[in-house]
Amino acid sequence: MKRFYMILAMVLTVVMAFSIKITMTSGGVGKELEILKKQLEMFHQIYPGIEVEIIPMPDSSTERHDLYVTYLAAHQTDPDIFMLDVIWSAEFAPFLEDLTKDYDYFDLDEFLAGTVKSVTVKGKIVAIPWFTDAGLLYYRKDLLEKYGYDHPPETWDELVEMAMKISEAEGINGFVWQGARYEGLVCDFTEYLWSFGGDVLDDEGSVVIDRGNAAVEALQFMVDMIYKYRISPEGVTTYMEEDARRTFQSGAAVFMRNWPYAWSLLNGADSPVKGKVGVVPLPAGPSGKRVATLGGWNLGINKYSSPKEKEAAKKLIKFLTSYHQQLYKVNSGQNPTRELVYKDSRLKEVAPFMATLFDVFINALPRPRVANYSEVSDIIQRYVHAALTKQMDAKTAIKKLANELRWILGE
Amino acid sequence: MRKQGLTAFWLLLPAVLIISIVAFFPLFKTFYDSFYSFSLRPGSIRQFVGFTNYERLSKDPRFIYALKNTVFFTVVSVSFETVLGTLMALVVHQEFALRGLVRAAMLIPWAIPTAISSQMWRWMFHDQFGIMTKICEVLEVIQPGTPILGRPGLAMWAIIFVDVWKTTPFMAILILAGLQVIPKELYEAARIDGANAFQRFLRVTLPLITPTIGVALIFRTLDALRVFDVVYVMTRGAVGTETLAVYNRHVLMDRAFTGNWFGYGSAISVAIFTLISIFAFMYIKSLKLKFD
Repeated sequence: MKRFYMILAMVLTVVMAFSIKITMTSGGVGKELEILKKQLEMFHQIYPGIEVEIIPMPDSSTERHDLYVTYLAAHQTDPDIFMLDVIWSAEFAPFLEDLTKDYDYFDLDEFLAGTVKSVTVKGKIVAIPWFTDAGLLYYRKDLLEKYGYDHPPETWDELVEMAMKISEAEGINGFVWQGARYEGLVCDFTEYLWSFGGDVLDDEGSVVIDRGNAAVEALQFMVDMIYKYRISPEGVTTYMEEDARRTFQSGAAVFMRNWPYAWSLLNGADSPVKGKVGVVPLPAGPSGKRVATLGGWNLGINKYSSPKEKEAAKKLIKFLTSYHQQLYKVNSGQNPTRELVYKDSRLKEVAPFMATLFDVFINALPRPRVANYSEVSDIIQRYVHAALTKQMDAKTAIKKLANELRWILGE
Repeated sequence: MRKQGLTAFWLLLPAVLIISIVAFFPLFKTFYDSFYSFSLRPGSIRQFVGFTNYERLSKDPRFIYALKNTVFFTVVSVSFETVLGTLMALVVHQEFALRGLVRAAMLIPWAIPTAISSQMWRWMFHDQFGIMTKICEVLEVIQPGTPILGRPGLAMWAIIFVDVWKTTPFMAILILAGLQVIPKELYEAARIDGANAFQRFLRVTLPLITPTIGVALIFRTLDALRVFDVVYVMTRGAVGTETLAVYNRHVLMDRAFTGNWFGYGSAISVAIFTLISIFAFMYIKSLKLKFD
């Protein structure tokens, strides 16, 4: 018996010497975690020597951000792989392993250009795009048909008209979106801003939001949807993604702006609106453009991890972002970052809208790409929300917003 | 004598060391940091700036607004908690069947982590499906369709309500402890002298539980001045509910690696600390508390 233990101990020592354990953070929205665990099992079969431990993260992106700040400020060696929101690349770049020379190892040429741009900071690749996101318009096919509309809205004006008519007749909400004071509000606001022909910063990074009238008009339009056209409930100023989704899924709204993740939930077995929902690009504004905000998550490697851990981490990232794994991840409603996956017939079976809305995903626009994005976002959130809750008129809000942006960006 | 002194020294040493590490060192470090300008980004250079951070604070409208909100929140919520907590303590101090069970059940709101209970309340305040919204509509406190958490003015009251719900039991349990040490003879004597129930409460109970209420007040005020989770979960500081701690999260977290804000954030922390000290001092003086 004693001998058995000795042999066991020896075997274990040998195995341990060759195996390595790495840690990665992951969210758990919808089926995300379940799918990832299955992927890690497949990975373990190919690389038995690499053990992966998942560090589950809170759902809220801001809370993940704050956790990362704490980890990184302490120069912690764990986690080895960070799941990073597209807006964080520049802010966290000083703490991430430079992957520029691994460009070909990860086949970055095959990825959607917008997603590669989101991981490029001053010419360096700091992370690998994992899945991408874009704002979409969900609508009730059955209700539009009932009121004689043969196509979903193509412009915001059309949406207002349909929403007013249907919501009044049905006694439900017209349009729900994300209007609470948090990151999601910035995503929604920039979509209106772009479709009205404006932008926050220009290519050189100068503040142009108060140039022309686009921003004021866009913001005024958002305010009008609540108080003038009354197609959005006043409570939309407290809604995040899930609040909007729950309202829409219960059948209490005609239109909803949300991310792709909502699709599989809206069509789940217990969903009251199952099979009655259509999804299209967001409508066009006066500029004629139909634009969506680019979202999504990337995988970056902790600079303070050991060289061995970094090597193992690279293998895992390559695996998770490979063609087949991206195709598999479609099951949790997360959009591939590789272009070719969209052409695969198996993708169409699971998530048909991903293929038909391919243009939306490749044309989605990024939020301002600056290192102090979190500060920029906070300013936008505060003033846009102040206008939506009628604490300030749209014109004053945009003026103050622009001034504060200039101050924080040192102009 | 000398030997005794030495023993005492060794016995005290671990406690002093632990308190120094977990309390004095971070406090001192925060004070120290508040005189510098730096960030947590690698390669950031620390610069001594004297009182500049404090000067800027006094001119920061957002800080002043948050300060007002924090004081308002604290004064209102702690007042309600004290009155309701005292009433609750008096009730459960009486003898009745299942008293132990009631005392335990009373503590449930206090036992649920604030982050979770606040989320629960956020849903209950949902503008279309929330039960609290429905109740307020039926009572005609609000117009149908009013988003309580999206209205300036209303949102702060909703947050105060949740805080009162959560911490009144804590207040009650502390005051109950104070009630239990009052000797029964005093009430008997008062009764013989012809004091009615109200007089007995005013002349016997109240003076004797004042020190306990004082301690409970200090505890609660301390907590209320640092309030973060309930506000952050319910409104994130929107519509006029931003408190000092919520503002400080923004400065320390959103700006940790960009700009040079860490000293500024430390200055806000020192301001919160000072505010707490002022309140504690006022209580100790006005309630004539003795800590010996």
